[in-house]
Parts: sequence; C-alpha cells; structure tokens
Amino acid sequence: MTSKSDRSSFYTMGVDSGSLTGKAVIIDGNRQIVSHSVKQLGFVSQKAVMMAIDDALEKAGLALEDITYTVSTGYGRKRLEIAGKNLTEISCHAKGANYLYPEVKTVIDIGGQDSKVIAVDPSGNVKNFAMNDKCAAGTGQFLEVLARALDVELTEIGALSLQSDADIKISSMCTTFAESEVISLVAEGHTTVDILSGMHKAISGRMKGLVGRVGMQQPVMMTGGGAKNIGLVKALEKTLGVSIFIPDEPQIIGALGAALFANDFATGIRKKVEEEQDLDKSRVPAKDCASCSVQNFQLNKN
Amino acid sequence: MAVQEAKRANRLKSGKLVNKLVNEYWEDLINAKKTGKKVVYTTGLPIGPFMAAQDMAWIHGEGYGARVAARHEEKEPQTFAENKGFNRELCSYARTQMGCAMFAELGVPDDLNPGPIATEIPAPDAIVTCYPGCSTGPQWDWAIERVFGKKIPWFNVVIPYHMGRNGSTYMKGEEFEENVKYVVRQFEDLIKFLEVVSGKPYNWDKFQELMGVTKKVGKLRMEAMELCKAKPAPASFFDWSIQIAPVNYLTAWPGTVEAMQAVKDEVQERLDNGVSAVPNEKYRIFWEGIMNWNKLGWMADKFASYDATVVAGRYTHMAFWHEPDTIDPEHPLRGIAINHLECQLNLGYPITEERMMTLSKDYSIDGIVFHGARTCRSFSRSHFLLAENLNKKMGIQSTSFEGDMVDDSFYKEELVNTRIEALIESLEAQKSRG
Repeated sequence: MTSKSDRSSFYTMGVDSGSLTGKAVIIDGNRQIVSHSVKQLGFVSQKAVMMAIDDALEKAGLALEDITYTVSTGYGRKRLEIAGKNLTEISCHAKGANYLYPEVKTVIDIGGQDSKVIAVDPSGNVKNFAMNDKCAAGTGQFLEVLARALDVELTEIGALSLQSDADIKISSMCTTFAESEVISLVAEGHTTVDILSGMHKAISGRMKGLVGRVGMQQPVMMTGGGAKNIGLVKALEKTLGVSIFIPDEPQIIGALGAALFANDFATGIRKKVEEEQDLDKSRVPAKDCASCSVQNFQLNKN
Repeated sequence: MAVQEAKRANRLKSGKLVNKLVNEYWEDLINAKKTGKKVVYTTGLPIGPFMAAQDMAWIHGEGYGARVAARHEEKEPQTFAENKGFNRELCSYARTQMGCAMFAELGVPDDLNPGPIATEIPAPDAIVTCYPGCSTGPQWDWAIERVFGKKIPWFNVVIPYHMGRNGSTYMKGEEFEENVKYVVRQFEDLIKFLEVVSGKPYNWDKFQELMGVTKKVGKLRMEAMELCKAKPAPASFFDWSIQIAPVNYLTAWPGTVEAMQAVKDEVQERLDNGVSAVPNEKYRIFWEGIMNWNKLGWMADKFASYDATVVAGRYTHMAFWHEPDTIDPEHPLRGIAINHLECQLNLGYPITEERMMTLSKDYSIDGIVFHGARTCRSFSRSHFLLAENLNKKMGIQSTSFEGDMVDDSFYKEELVNTRIEALIESLEAQKSRG
C-alpha cells in the first residue's frame, strides 16, 4: 500500500500543443496543480510547447526527469516525443473541467482552430460531443483575423464589444469571407465596437447549433482562449440563456485534463508494479527440481 | 484510450478481381470508336445495361471520376477544369470529368502532365442523365455538350424524390407506386431514344439477359454484406466500396457474377475461420456519406489502427441494386425503377432515418462517422439531423468531418484524425460506463 506522502512524491504533466498556443500543467500524486504555463508563438509551434514545458518545470522547481508520466493533447499532440500517450482535446477538456467543477455537464471550448461542445458525465468522461466540421469558422483564429482587420488588439475586443448596443449581423462564418464582410461594414461607417459585437453574436449563433446537437445541460463551463473574451462569453450567455462558469485559467483546461490522465496512467503503472513486486515477494524458488519445468510457485497465503 | 498503432486493415483478396473487369471495360471503352460502337455519357444511377443491350459503350461520369482518383490522376484534370473557369466548389466528379473531356477535345496544355486514364476518354455520341437528388448532374451534362461544341442527343431521366407523403414508406404507398410508374414511362422513352441513336431496334432479349445478371450480382453482394452482421465483421465498408464498380458502371459486365461470387465465398470462408476485417475489432462504425476515393486505403488502415471496423454505410448498403428481389428479368423496368427510386440519395428524411436506424441495429453500430463531402452537399443535407436523432433514439454517438469524393485538397489530415480519435475515445468511455 502506498502512503499519501509517497503518492504525492510523483509528478505528472499534461501538455496541450494547440494550434495557436502551447500549454503545460504539472500535478502531483495527489492530483493537485503544482504549476502551469501558457505560451504563444505561432501555429502548432513546438517552440511554444517546449517553452511552456520549461516554464512549468521551473515554476514547480522540477526537472523533466522528475515527471513520471506525460500525456499530450491538442493538434501537435503526436509530435511530442516525451509523451507516453496522446489524447484528443475532447477527452482532456472533459476531464479537466470535471476536476475543477465536478457538477459540470456541458463544456464549451473555443480554441484556436476548433470549437467544440462536450457533454460530460459525473466521472469526467465524454458522453457526447460536437465539433465545428470544417476550417476555422467561429474559432480563436477567426477572431484573430477579424481583430487584425479592425486593427484592435485581441485582448481588447471583448471589453470593447460590450460597449455596443447595435445589432449588426455578420452572416458569413468563413474566416476569409467574414474578413471581407467586416471591411465592407467599416466602409459603410459602422463603428469598431458594433462590428466586434456582431462578430461575437455570429459566433454565439454558431455555437448554439453545436450545443443543440449535443443537448445542453447545466451547469455549463467555457474553456479555451475564447473564454477569456468577456464579450464572447456575454454573447453566448445571452444566446443560450444560461450562466456560464469560466475557470481562472480557461486555456489550461485541456493540459490539466491531460495531466490528470497522466496521473491515472502513472497510478495504474505504479499499482501494477507494486502488485508484481508483492507477487515476487510471495514466490520462492523451487529447490532441487532441475528436471521440473516449474521454476517457482506461489505460496498459498490462506 | 485511442492510441494509434501501426495496424492494417485485412482487406478482401478477392477484391482484386474487380481490377481485371475494370481494365476490360476500359479497354473496350477507349477502343469503342474503332470497333464502331456508339459512346454514351451517363451520370447518376447505374443504367449501363440499357446501353449494353444495344452494343453501345458508356462512360459513367462519377465512376470515371472515382477511377481517375483511385489511380491518383485526378489533380491534372481538376486543375485544367479550374483553369477553364469551373469553380473549385463545383462537384469534384464533374470537375474531374470535365477536365478529362477537355484534354480529349482541346488537347493537353504544355504545363500539365496528366496520366493515361485521364486523357483517353472518347467523345460522346449521346448523353443520358439519370439523377436522383442532385441539380448539378443535368448541368454537368449540359457543360459536357458545350465542351464538344456540337448538338449531342441528350435524354434526361428524372428520378423524383420519395418524400414519404401520405404515409408512403420504403417501397410502399401511393407516392411510391406513382413514382415507379413515372420512372418506368421514362425508361420506355429512353429505350426509344437509344433505338434512334443506335439506328436499330432495341434488343430486349439481350437487355433481359443483362438484367438477369444484374439481379444475380446484386443479390450476391447484399448476401455477402449481410454476413458482416457477424461480430467481428469479416469485411468492411472499405471492401464494399471497392465492390461498387461491379454494381455501378460495370453493371452486368461479363465476369461480374463470378467476381461477386468469389467475394461472397471469401467472406463466408473468413466467417467460418474467424478471420476479421480488422485484427482486433472493438468498435463498429457506420459510414455516412460518399466514400473518399483517393483515401480508401488510408481510411481503411486508420480505422483498423483504432480497432474499429466500419461495417456499413448509406452509400454502400442503400443503393446499387440493393433490392435485387424486385428485379424481374422478364419485365425489368419496374425493378430498375424501384432500385433507383429507393436509393440512398433519393429518400426523404423520415425514410432515410428509418433505414439508417434499421441498418444501425442490424449491424450493431456503436458510432457513426459523417463525411461531409465539400462538393456534394446534396448527400450531406441531413447529416446534422441524423446525428441528433440517432443519438436521441438509439444513443449512438457520432463525429463529422469534411472531405470530398475525389478532391483531396479539401482534407486536413489532423482535423480528420482529431474527430475520429475523439469518437473512439468517447466510445471507449461509453463502454467503460457499461
């Protein structure tokens, strides 16, 4: 039997190699978050992922060798050589969300390249899910492109959009066409804040369709970089008619879920090793039986 | 969890027999003019026997596009068609055949280097369109006519939707019976049209013989597919995709009965010996959508690597002489009409859902993969509704991704991977819940 102190003496890591950011979370054997990091450099940037890993390790005062098991997720999950396993963001976001908020039933994740809605069971398993079926429509990349077209910092668009009470409709969700539409709206004299508000409503409308496919149950949590956009959160709440729980660090939920899976795997492996060690202790070598193929036998403890 | 290992699909060996038939068909087609045969371009449903009975050659537009893609020769004709102004969003089957037709008629530009299959298409003497649920088909044939710059005799068989009005269900009801009569009347006119084009009376004896062959092949294929209700399945959707040719543009081609019999025998033998399509079947998947012809092997191995067998699909199991018992070779028109009216593309939503639910139950389906073909929205028009309702009514989870029939530039491999892996992980979680 492993003691609590023994259990906490091992560490696992989850790494989310996303399309726009690299995230790493380290947890201890008691499944407590030790450190985390988010780095942004470029599309599925390995450098950003390595920076996030190094940063998380440094914050935790650990070296890579101290990590018992690593699970990767995100678009670049298969490229991370240090990972023992890789899992999709769907499973990892469900697991991470359940850890932070065990009652959560629906997770909305708006990431860089994908938007998804996940129905979660009480154990943090995926009950059902729906993803955007194509391209970057309605995702973080969509917002980045449009923010650039409007010459506004991505971090500012949420608060700015809340200043609007206009009802501007952006009909196209294709990033390329929406950019043209935004340019057209600017040319027509619409203000930046009104256009930003229209963008958020357009994404909310699209997400409502995904939510409908899964079937929304409350409580609802939002994860991913999109959750840091207050304008988008408010638009979603209004469109869905619910309150949405936003974790303190919504971008790390996938990595957190991966770290929890890593903990499961590591615990399973440790348990198996311990059982084998116990089994080995209960075996005694057979003596003077050279002609017999049975080299050892198990003591009957009963 | 969904850990992708290097496992490969155990595909049917007898599937290769189809290649021989395809090669024979192709040789006959490219030499048709030399042997005095008229060439008919067709699009839509399999109507080859109508022409074969009159000793005419035929090119099935979609089948041709699929063959060009399966030989990885599709890029050059697609590029040529796009350079000539055919939009990239246009049906990729049409774009591929348009490019090939233009190679034949206008010559190959210096900057393109197409493969042999893409450049050997003979010019049409007539066009027969026979489309269900697609508005592109007739316009495609119209464009073909313009490419060749002359008035080409053209016959359009209209296959009306079977919407399910007034209680009409699959192969039953007033709407169904009226539609059958309407299509039969058009087939009678088609035969008169072919008599004019060929310049000789219609050879009914030959037509009846060919429809007898069609019935046999259709029956063998359905029986072989039904053997895959067994767990684990001895063959997969990807095997059945290869077996589309003998029931599509090769319908009633000499040797198709023997080829399909060999396939059925191999499936039965596998079943008897416990050999499965996927080495370690854990999940059974339904494929909803048209096959991606240039990704066939890639997809087959991908699912095998997740211990998942794609056991059935709307494309394979709900079309291509899927109701062989309705064919009476002595009076074949009604049976042809029924098979074409009740095919996968032509059914109204309630009937489609009912058929999919039946297949999902019969084949013990765990999950559904919806492939939304970028350039065939007609096929994917009910995907969201089907996903929602099959989940609500049967608890079947699904995932969807975007690809295409024969234009692989619409694929983003990692987008496809993530969606399929997410489904597998979700199914695993479901199984662990019990």
